[in-house]
Amino acid sequence: MTTQCSSELCMLLIEDNFGELFARIFTVLQRYERLTLPRLKFYSRLTDRQLNNGISAMIQHHLVYHFTSVEENNTYYEANPQAAYYLVRSGKILQHVDNRLGEYAAKVMEAIMFLGHTSITHLETLPQLQPNQPLTNGVNYDEERPETNGETNGDHEEEASETNGDHAVSQKPARLHPTLKSLASHGYIHRVREGHFQSPNDNWLDCNRIVSSRPDVKAMKGKQQQAEIEEKSKNMVKERTEGDLSRGLMFNGLPQGVKRMFGGASGSTNAQKGTNDVNGDHAEDEEDEGNDWSEDEDGIDSAPMDSNLIVRVNYEKLDVALRNTQILELARQCAPPVSLEIYDCLLRRIEYQTPRCRDTYEIPREGEEGEQYSAPIQLSAIVNDVDPNLDLTGCIGPMNPTPTSNRRKRPLDDGTNGVNGDDHEDESTEVNRAYQIDQHLSYLSQAPFNLTTKHNIGGLDTWRIAFRGIARKLRHLELERMIESRYGDVALRVIRVLHAKGRLDEKRLQEISLLPFKDLRQTLASMQTGGFVDLQEVPRDAQRQPSKTIYLWYYDPDRVCSSILEDTYKAMSRCLQRIKFEREREKDFLEKTERTDVKGHEEEFLSEAELEHLRNWKAKEALLLAEVSRLDDMVAVFRDY
Amino acid sequence: MASAGSQVAELASKLYDACVNEFDPDHLFYQNDFLNLKIIPKNDVALLLQCAQSLVDQNLFRLLQKDGKLTWRLIDREDAEKLRNLTPDEAMVYNVIHSTGRTGIWVRHIGSRTNLHKSILDRCLKSLEGKNYIKSLHNVKYPSRKMYMLAGLAPSEEVTGGAWFTDGVLDANFINTVAGFIEFTVSKMSWYEVPASESGRNKRIKTASGKADVKSDEKTYLPYPHGYKGYPNVEMITSAVNSSGITPVRLGEESVVQLMEMLCYDNKLVSLGAGEFYRSLQSPSVIQANQKRKPPTEGDDLAVVNKHLVKNGMTEAPCGQCPVFRLCSPGGAVSPETCEYFDPWLSNGLGF
Repeated sequence: MTTQCSSELCMLLIEDNFGELFARIFTVLQRYERLTLPRLKFYSRLTDRQLNNGISAMIQHHLVYHFTSVEENNTYYEANPQAAYYLVRSGKILQHVDNRLGEYAAKVMEAIMFLGHTSITHLETLPQLQPNQPLTNGVNYDEERPETNGETNGDHEEEASETNGDHAVSQKPARLHPTLKSLASHGYIHRVREGHFQSPNDNWLDCNRIVSSRPDVKAMKGKQQQAEIEEKSKNMVKERTEGDLSRGLMFNGLPQGVKRMFGGASGSTNAQKGTNDVNGDHAEDEEDEGNDWSEDEDGIDSAPMDSNLIVRVNYEKLDVALRNTQILELARQCAPPVSLEIYDCLLRRIEYQTPRCRDTYEIPREGEEGEQYSAPIQLSAIVNDVDPNLDLTGCIGPMNPTPTSNRRKRPLDDGTNGVNGDDHEDESTEVNRAYQIDQHLSYLSQAPFNLTTKHNIGGLDTWRIAFRGIARKLRHLELERMIESRYGDVALRVIRVLHAKGRLDEKRLQEISLLPFKDLRQTLASMQTGGFVDLQEVPRDAQRQPSKTIYLWYYDPDRVCSSILEDTYKAMSRCLQRIKFEREREKDFLEKTERTDVKGHEEEFLSEAELEHLRNWKAKEALLLAEVSRLDDMVAVFRDY
Repeated sequence: MASAGSQVAELASKLYDACVNEFDPDHLFYQNDFLNLKIIPKNDVALLLQCAQSLVDQNLFRLLQKDGKLTWRLIDREDAEKLRNLTPDEAMVYNVIHSTGRTGIWVRHIGSRTNLHKSILDRCLKSLEGKNYIKSLHNVKYPSRKMYMLAGLAPSEEVTGGAWFTDGVLDANFINTVAGFIEFTVSKMSWYEVPASESGRNKRIKTASGKADVKSDEKTYLPYPHGYKGYPNVEMITSAVNSSGITPVRLGEESVVQLMEMLCYDNKLVSLGAGEFYRSLQSPSVIQANQKRKPPTEGDDLAVVNKHLVKNGMTEAPCGQCPVFRLCSPGGAVSPETCEYFDPWLSNGLGF
């Protein structure tokens, strides 16, 4: 993870979100890796006060791991690049929560994100989460960022307890707890454990040490002991870092607060489609308080959450949710809209049962990856989930089209999909509907994407998803998009041939791709310069004469992926740096707009031209941020799925 | 001795006639085959050898060796006539060329096999070509090699590169025409065309689900369900191509398979059940629109590309296309601050 480009990006993200002090500490930690406090002080040249404040706040935000070694009694600090990178995804996550659980849930999420981790008690006291709060800019972190982070992080505990006394008991926010519960049952937030503050490696080594010092393990020998230590420490790490809150909150396999999706099923998917690219201005589109949170939801489960619980955002789970939206995008390319709706239901069901995108830390090499299937979902569950008003017919053609069908009045009636909307009252419609949904899912299971897989467990039809295969397809799609835009569709064909056939010499390549020699050579040469294909020399004798050497072209997607990933990090950094530069250019003007008296009252204080200028600037910033978020989509595909 | 000689000649011609009558012209003769004909008195092996030798001398038999045994093969009387008119060198060259059949042989290989001096070899080839016994040919695999084969033979697919080559050069226009035709044909067979009376209903559905309006004069196509058996296979497509009249020659199935595989690599078709059936990914109306659009936008490839696959972050950002991206670093000669691509990109994106 820590390469030059990624560490540059992390530094920029931290600087953008938290200011220079954090960025400085983070950079030093990334450059020198694990450091004790005195060394850190030496390298960063900061004062004790700065360092103490900075480090503690960064720990609050999980940007820094710390580990106190028992033997040496030293505490080591280590950067957490993952957490730093996830800062860029915050907008997307909030958008997703907004779509799923409504605006208020997004607000709660934003508050948690803004605080790094927080106790429920503290959330109760936050003014922006109060039920009858007049609209303010609340947690628009773009604005609050510079001034609040120091204090909020440093002394929020006191603040919390102090406000707690007079406020929280008398006027408990009515919606906060159900919202938190539904966030928890979706798995979007989880409990913070001690182990989360240590790096995964430290956790692992620590557990290893503890396990191997147990007397029963010590008694074992050789391989058996090794295996035992491995097994036990794995369990122990899992136990230590397990923060799942969804257990006990799920109802019939569905998390709380999920009912909402029926009402606006088609509306929400439409919204999802358009919103993927706007990251910067999520705070601006605050409408009114009215999300469609049904009031009876509170009645079902009004028991509040344990107020001592400390929660944080569960990025792993959110990656699963975001991956599902990407898969749905992929499906959009090949499936009719009705199938998409059904697929969406399947994906949601799967999301609830998938804690993380994959079990291994690294993406396995292509060809060496086994298949990883999602939890199987029963067809009946999907049938229940699908909007009952959705018309399933008329999207898939009949199985046996007869040549005479043109003259018949309703040829679809005798086809497989032929139930029309008007015979709904039938007993058989339930069965028929299940059959049709099955048909739609079967349709999705076809080549080229193989989006679903049918699986029969004990006579019950279930559907599941082959995650590794789809993740691979997503990766290839991103690569192909880049190749096509850079080298044209000829190159695309060549790449696909090489990928399917392995290593090929030029002649064989030409025979398969049916391209003229000249085009082929030009494309291959330019792609080689770009690092997409490479040439292998196989000498036929010891002299390695060029005339007696076989040259084989090949395409290694793993290698290309990793280099593109680096490029993507770099491009993201460049966009962020450009924002900085643009801001520098407009410095005087922007300082004026950010003055405390002007802010929020722009119309009063600024001239027409200045307002126009401000709008332009905002649009510019939004465009660049949107681009960063688009690039983040690619990073997710290459790294996280 | 003379009588013995004439006896041998007589026996030899008898043997030759018997061989022509009894066996097909490509048969490989072993010693036993001759003895089984019962022409040589008392199965005298020495006499048989004399006969065979005299026939070889007359260029009516060709002497070959297989698995360490001597074997013979028949030569037509006409061919024998030709060979008899040649000088020994020419005959040797002719035999070598003959042995390679439809693949042809490279001049240098002739030289190494006959051990003739280059100038003599050239002379022989020239005279043979002049007599119209051999012809030179163009090999796709080795375009620079000078190759010869017998004049009466047609070069094999391996040499010409198959149906897609004209004079050893890939015929791009021809390929595109046939590919377009195949794509459209497959597409027509893998999408269900909704009859006119139905399309009204479907239009309603589509608009209700938030999809773009379907124009009333356009046909609506629906995909077939999973497990549909009506997708076209290679034979159907081959016969469709051959009967369409777009090809001057009949295309073989292998050539069509080659082309369909290419279309699969273009993500236009998908092969189902290990190449048994083919299915098109886009409905006929989309394909038609694409094919119509092609000629005018051929010039500016960016526009075409953008329509094709959906864009992603890297293709949009100025960095994705930057030629000096590798050199870019903050504070360097190429840096995000001095970047000349950002400003046009921003103004383009914002529309001012």
